[in-house]
Amino acid sequence: MADVEGDPKAGPIEELLVRTGRFFTRATTSPDLHTVFKAGGREGDAFYRDRWSHDKVVRSTHGVNCTGSCSWKVYVKDGIITWETQETDYPSVGPDRPEYEPRGCPRGAAFSWYTYSPTRVRYPYARGVLVEMYREAKVRLGDPVAAWAEITTDAAKRARYQRARGKAGLIRVTWEEAVEIVAAAHVHTIAAYGPDRIAGFSPIPAMSMVSQAVGARFVSLLGGAMLSFYDWYADLPVASPQVFGDQTDVPESADWVDAAYLMLWGSNVPVTRTPDAHFMAEARYRGQKVVVISPDYSDAVKFADEWLPARPGTDGALGMAMGHVVLREFFVDRPTPRFVDHVKRFTDLPFLVTLHRESDGYVPGRFLTAADLGDGGEGAACKTVLLGRGGRPVVPGGSAGFRWTESGKGRWNLDLPTDPLLSLYGEHARTAEVLLPRFDGEPTALRRGVPVTQVGAHTVTTVFDLLLAQYGVSRPGLPGVWPAGYDDPGQPCTPAWQEAITGVPAARAARIAREFAETAERTGGRCMIILGAGTCQWFHGDTMYRAFLALTMLTGCQGVNGGGWAHYVGQEKCRPFAGWSLLAGALDWGRPPRQIPATPYFYLHTDQWRYDLFDAGRLASPLARGLFAGRHTAELVGRAVRRSWMPMAPMFDRNPLDLGAADDPVGYTLAELGAGRLRYACDDPDDPRNWPRVLTVWRANVLGSSGKGNEYFLEHLLGAGSGLPEPDETAPRGKLDLLLSLDFRMTSTTLYSDVVLPAATWYEKHDLSSTDMHPFVHAFNPAISPPWQARTDFAAFHAIAAAFSELAADRLGVRRDVVAVPYQHDTPSELGAFSDGEEGRGRGGFAIVERDYGAVAAKLAALGPLTEGAGIPVKGVTFQPGEEVAWLGRRNGVAAEGAARGRPLLDTDAAACETILALSGTTNGRLAAQGFAQLSERTGVDLHGLASGETRVTFADTQARPAPVGASPEWSGKEAHDRRYAPFTVNVENGKPWHTLTGRMHFFLDHEWMREYGEALPIYRPPLDLAALGEAGSGEGLLVRYLTPHSKWSIHSEYQDNLLMLTLSRGGPTIWMSPGDAAAIGVTDNEWVEAVNRNGVVVARAVVSLKMPRGTVYMYHVQERVVDVPLSETNGRRGGIHNSLTRLLVKPTHLIGGHAQLSFGFNYFGPTGNQRDEITLIRRRSQEVRYR
Amino acid sequence: MSGWAETALWIVTPYLTLLIFALGLVWRFRYDRFGWTTRSSQLYEHQLLRIASPVFHFGLLFVIVGHVVGLLIPEHWTRAMGITESMYHMSALVVGAIAGTCTLAGIALLIYRRRTTGPVFMATTANDKAMYVVLTAAILAGLLTTLLTSAFGEHDYRHTVSPWFRGIFVFQPDAAAITAAPWPYRLHTAIGMLLLAIFPFTRLVHAFAAPLTYPFRPYIVYRSRSATGGPPLTRRAPRGW
Repeated sequence: MADVEGDPKAGPIEELLVRTGRFFTRATTSPDLHTVFKAGGREGDAFYRDRWSHDKVVRSTHGVNCTGSCSWKVYVKDGIITWETQETDYPSVGPDRPEYEPRGCPRGAAFSWYTYSPTRVRYPYARGVLVEMYREAKVRLGDPVAAWAEITTDAAKRARYQRARGKAGLIRVTWEEAVEIVAAAHVHTIAAYGPDRIAGFSPIPAMSMVSQAVGARFVSLLGGAMLSFYDWYADLPVASPQVFGDQTDVPESADWVDAAYLMLWGSNVPVTRTPDAHFMAEARYRGQKVVVISPDYSDAVKFADEWLPARPGTDGALGMAMGHVVLREFFVDRPTPRFVDHVKRFTDLPFLVTLHRESDGYVPGRFLTAADLGDGGEGAACKTVLLGRGGRPVVPGGSAGFRWTESGKGRWNLDLPTDPLLSLYGEHARTAEVLLPRFDGEPTALRRGVPVTQVGAHTVTTVFDLLLAQYGVSRPGLPGVWPAGYDDPGQPCTPAWQEAITGVPAARAARIAREFAETAERTGGRCMIILGAGTCQWFHGDTMYRAFLALTMLTGCQGVNGGGWAHYVGQEKCRPFAGWSLLAGALDWGRPPRQIPATPYFYLHTDQWRYDLFDAGRLASPLARGLFAGRHTAELVGRAVRRSWMPMAPMFDRNPLDLGAADDPVGYTLAELGAGRLRYACDDPDDPRNWPRVLTVWRANVLGSSGKGNEYFLEHLLGAGSGLPEPDETAPRGKLDLLLSLDFRMTSTTLYSDVVLPAATWYEKHDLSSTDMHPFVHAFNPAISPPWQARTDFAAFHAIAAAFSELAADRLGVRRDVVAVPYQHDTPSELGAFSDGEEGRGRGGFAIVERDYGAVAAKLAALGPLTEGAGIPVKGVTFQPGEEVAWLGRRNGVAAEGAARGRPLLDTDAAACETILALSGTTNGRLAAQGFAQLSERTGVDLHGLASGETRVTFADTQARPAPVGASPEWSGKEAHDRRYAPFTVNVENGKPWHTLTGRMHFFLDHEWMREYGEALPIYRPPLDLAALGEAGSGEGLLVRYLTPHSKWSIHSEYQDNLLMLTLSRGGPTIWMSPGDAAAIGVTDNEWVEAVNRNGVVVARAVVSLKMPRGTVYMYHVQERVVDVPLSETNGRRGGIHNSLTRLLVKPTHLIGGHAQLSFGFNYFGPTGNQRDEITLIRRRSQEVRYR
Repeated sequence: MSGWAETALWIVTPYLTLLIFALGLVWRFRYDRFGWTTRSSQLYEHQLLRIASPVFHFGLLFVIVGHVVGLLIPEHWTRAMGITESMYHMSALVVGAIAGTCTLAGIALLIYRRRTTGPVFMATTANDKAMYVVLTAAILAGLLTTLLTSAFGEHDYRHTVSPWFRGIFVFQPDAAAITAAPWPYRLHTAIGMLLLAIFPFTRLVHAFAAPLTYPFRPYIVYRSRSATGGPPLTRRAPRGW
């Protein structure tokens, strides 16, 4: 046959040649002439075998701000890291669902490139002119601190090195010299200005807990300010504390499989949650329906059964319309028993709200409390009231008034003594017309009637009745103006009304809402909404979230496996939280630490407040009483600080150590304040006495990545050149004396730093990683020692501390520091505003902390006595880790001498890992059980079974394989081998209250400022119209919405400069736009464009893609200035980064404090650094680009 | 040229060249077998390459054949075959000029491509650049001799260069013979020796990896491990210290 004899496709000549060739070789040729068999000749194999051979495999992970927390195998050959592959040994999640292994994505797989890359920081560097002046001054003055003082106080010298920031000129210095400069700067700053002029920024402890904690611990021991990150990143959903009284407690990704209905709202799971996306894909085999709401045809849309392309920033309207449908069909037309039961027990809907008579109608006021009923007992002002059967007011347990009072012991639970009335609606009910704000279009007031009754002197209604009015769900007989039906476009919040806003067809919106609720009814609440940065990071992101959360609460999905909210923005969950917080805050040596919300901090210190286009009243409710009218937002920040709602650094225009020198520091401080001699620093942030002086950035990239209003940082904080079109010449330039960064690669932040220390990578140190996506804690391990002169963050901060302590021992000695303490969430002070009145007790909240500056290094390296002496406070319980401290002393050794003599050592990163695990409830069941025992006593509910005292994860366990954590009062959900983690399951299944005012999930927020902003109830607030507010600036180009979503090719700035990832992406900065917009400005794909607005300039290449909606451009963040950034046409300076076009906008309602769940907590509650409302002009530029 | 310089150039250098050439190839084969390649740039640019490479290489093949004929075959052999002096020179001139021009055009295009195509230029090493200089110089000098021969028609290199060349291989290099040749011939010969000397250290080695057997074997090749053991398939383990 032909196919045996030869290849029929081969020609006769080819066949002849091969046949001839057979006679010239000993090798055997197959009869069909396709194949020849030879023996030997495989010496070349050694090349590829060698290429893929290795000496050892080490477990580590990537300490990047990504929720992946994937464990990786790192391969080492001849002492060189060669490559990495995914670990596959995650504990099984059970037989009925997909497993976690393997986890990873192309970004992580590219990481080892950095180890030996050209961008690696190999040696300590310092700004050349600074070093020159420092050396000269040190020789002349003979003292490092005096040298630093001279350079930073001599205007000419100061300007010389500050102006040089970001303009290269970093020179190599020794570790000794670098550390000496840094130590001298710290000593001088503390002596001259005060410790609160020192700040540290290092986000996301979960991504490498010890590396974060060691620096935070150093800063805290000094009395410096650790800046928050979660709110600053605008990853913090403010709605979470508002509604749940808890910050971002969400299901692990394996719980997505439990969901029957999944909505992705502004979240692009395949791109930003790559290792977990398979759960979504696989859940569909169980019949799960996936609905994606995204303005662009995102990667997630490919997985969707339905895509609702709502216009950017209008998602809240869609959420409200869906809520309208759910309320109409599942509460009013056909009350659904499961839903009604759920909201009665677990939400504030049955609670009573007082109504106040205004000129032409009623407005909702505060919750009716026991105090209003004449109860004069403790906490009565914080005990909310509902109506029981027969209309009698009942004060159920569970509200905040039962949480912190002696008499509340055993009564802080969700037991209802009666079946509460959800609504007062009935045939004989009185009604009242309530005025409610609307913000779509020109803000005006709506008039809608609610049923009311009289309790004592108060006219009251329920939150549920108000909610129906807010959502426009009419009931016969109620006065006011109501929508005629779903297709009434004129009245909020009908499906037709939202169609005009979002572009989503009304019928589809209604159908999806109906499907969601029906599925929830039939599955017992297994409907989930995955939320992401696309909806969170707007100025009014909190209102959007409240509209979404309302859907999950109304349909009984919260606290249910497979249901509820799932917010994944930032690797927020540091599972061994208690141990980490103790170490990071140095709570074992002194309390409280200075922990400062970063958004108002940078808003003031980068002078972005000077550029506000409108006063705080501009965005207030049409029904506002005028609290904010004419008020600058910075003024409100000052008010929040004065009222102890929020801490700030610096606190006063005087060194807090000087205040501490008085005999009675607190009395003296109060007296000085009273006399007007002592002023709050935030009242005049531009006074040199009130400037921040030293900022240390590690594991972070403020100037390349997270710095909203990047050009303002450069202009005012650093004094370097900026791309600001019209800098305010009256504002200071160059506030910071020292910008210190620790990094393993050159970033925008290191390029602008004065001193750069070479850090170890994630393959070169011991540390711990965890995430909210999976329930494991696993280890970093060094595959190699830090190469060149790199050191771990741990070693670097110990070196700095040693140099500091030596310089400080005589110069600073032992001092007393006056620390202002805000009302803190999850402590009795969270009710401060109830007991102290709205004006707060700002003048009383001070603590005195002793600072032994010579002993900082010794304290840094040992676990202090307050660990067991005062316990570890976490979410209202206090762990007493006496046994653990003794064990740690035996395990890690104890300090032989000095200030920490006899205390367990924290002298290595591994010892610190061990300590964190030993002191956290999630990894130490004994402490978790302790915490649950305390909660049992408080709630009167038996919670003892939730944690096993046997659970114990040691560092070695996490090195062996990812170790599952146990349930703990640190979090709100249950952990067990046979169920996945979902938040609030303890609350729902065991009746433990939420950490809110009513103890239930909140629809209604009764703080005066919330009412002033028109956000007491869920509401639709459109994206800010910045064009109308003057943001666009002037110039040619097309005006577009400017969004900076998360990228497929990087995790923030990490990997965007990685050669492998640059090769996969287009490489260099790009802006994505629609073909229509591109045509409008005459741009074709890959051409250079320039985007310009009031804040700065960006030069990038255009990616013209059909996936983009018109009117919106994406600049995927974070494309830094280190790769392919040419000079701009606009100002001739180097084009900026994605944040060059953004500016901070502080939302006043985020400043609220001392009001139960609306109280300050570090990374729990604070103003967000939102940036999505931004707009820009974009135009084609000359295609001739120059780089210098 | 003085006597010792003549000796050095035409007697010592040829052997030195051959020695470097041979030992260089052995060294390269032993220590850089993986680098025995042209490092093809076809992925970066293929449109120009598709024309330039065949023009150059086929031109070069004819040039080589011309050299073999001109240098190795003594004049009396061709005369014995009945080829007259003028016939020989005419054919040498025509074929040589065509082949030489093709080669020159080919390499010019290749160099143009290499210089103007960014990725190709970035993949070009200093070694490559030096090699191109020598190779181009050799071609230019060779063409020069051809043209001069035609222009003057006087000199017959088969009486000067060829005897010297053949003498090398019987260890009787006749320096006087080549010294009698006009300077373009001597220049071309000298550059030729230089080219041979650098040959093993440049990408030119790919000439010895020409896939001559491809047309004669099936396209699937299985190699079993050698039955007799043979060299290890993996690198010897490093000492570890």
